[in-house]
This record gives sequence, structure tokens and C-alpha cells, in this order.
Amino acid sequence: MNTLTRSLTQSLVVAVLFASQVADEEEALKKDLTAVIALHGLPCGQVVAVTELAESDYAASCRDGNKYRVYLNAEGRVVVEERT
Amino acid sequence: MHVAYSAVLLLMLTAGCVRAKPETPVSEPQSVATQPGTQQRAAKSAAPSKPQPAPAPAPSRAQKTPAPPAASKVAPPVAKAPASAPTLDLNALEEQRRATKAIGVFTKISLKNRVDDLLDRFGEYYEGKAKFTMTDLRRSYDLLMMKVLTLLHDEDQKLASAIVSSRQAIWDLLADPKTFATLRV
Repeated sequence: MNTLTRSLTQSLVVAVLFASQVADEEEALKKDLTAVIALHGLPCGQVVAVTELAESDYAASCRDGNKYRVYLNAEGRVVVEERT
Repeated sequence: MHVAYSAVLLLMLTAGCVRAKPETPVSEPQSVATQPGTQQRAAKSAAPSKPQPAPAPAPSRAQKTPAPPAASKVAPPVAKAPASAPTLDLNALEEQRRATKAIGVFTKISLKNRVDDLLDRFGEYYEGKAKFTMTDLRRSYDLLMMKVLTLLHDEDQKLASAIVSSRQAIWDLLADPKTFATLRV
């Protein structure tokens, strides 16, 4: 195995590991937001897509088509607002 | 307020470190019937300010004899409650709370909000300002517990079952105006 092949292999492994970690974090966030929306008694099923709007402020799309904004307000409360 | 929240949320989320007696089948009213003071003492031992060492293990199953049918008839309604209330260790609870990954950050904050709301309602009730009853508060408490348990059920069954076993001890803290006042300080 020459040096170039070895370097490419190492880079690929690092990239795969990094991508895997990012995917895990995103899945954890989706799960977290799913739980929060359910706690607020709102229909969702499962969050399938998340967009970060700002720090502690997310736009979540649910499997059933509902969309919500989930954020932490100034009083330290988690707020879930329906988005159209 | 923060202390109250911390205490209650800790108790709810991190009861995984509860050190309880080896499980005693609930269907054995014999021990409760013969030792009526046991449960009250155990409930008192759950007070957060006094972490205590684990109690002595219960007798093994081989030593227990089945209660005669007559004994179960005379057993008071209390016999339906869990046979032993767990002892709570707040330091271990704190570690468990930090360690658990079963609940995300937003969910924890959201639960904190719910706990704050419930504590506020208890405060109103004890100040005589509330229009709701203790039964309503119990219903709210049970609902919150159910939500917590639902969240934990798939990810951390050990913690969930520990919370179930300490559910009554936490309620006892809230339902007593004196212990509640110490939580609110």
C-alpha cells in the first residue's frame, strides 16, 4: 500500500466517523424535539427534519405534516409554536 | 424555587440510584399486616435531607410462609401499596441525573417547566389561594409522572422502574406542607 492510498484510506475513515457522529447528534435532536412536542400535547408523531433557526431555536417538521418552531424563551421556558 | 425544582426533578429523573430492599412481592400482605408501622417509617426515611444507608435485606423467599387466607382478609387497605418505600440518596441521584442520556436537553427543560408549574400550584394550594383540590394536584402529579415514565420507558427501564418505586415517597414530600415548605426555601 503506497503512501497516497494510505492517506486516502485514513481520510475516508475520519470522514465516515465524523459523518456518523453528526448523524447521531441530529437523530438525538429529532428525538428530543419529538418528545418536547409530545409533552406539549401537540400532534406530530415523529420529527423527521430539523432546521436550526438560531441558538436553542429550531424548526421541526413532523411525519404527519405538522410543522413547529421549538425554542427557549427569555424566561427559560421551552415554547412550541405551530408554523404554517 | 430552584431548590424545590432541583429536589423534585432530581427525585423524578434520577431515582435510578435508589437503594431499595430486595423486591418483595406485593401480593404478600403478611409483612404489612404484622408490621403496621413499617411503611410510615420507610416513607419518612425518604426525606432528601437525610440520606441513609440501605436497609437490611428482607428475608429470603424460602423463609417466608404464605399468608393464610384469613390474614389477607383482615389486612388494611394499605397492604395494596408497595411493601417497602425506597431510601433516596441525593448525591447519587445527582450523578445519575447528569449521566442519563435517556432524555434530551430540551425535554429536560420542558419537564423542569412542568415541575415548576406543579410546585407553583402546590404553593397556591397551601396558601389557600387555589380553587383546586389536593385530588386535582395528585392527578397532575400522576400525569407528570406518566409523561416522565413514558419518556424513560424505552431508553432507561431501570431508571423508570426506580421512579415507579419512589413515586409515593416523592408525593409524600409534596403532600406534606412542612416538607414542601423546606423544598421551596
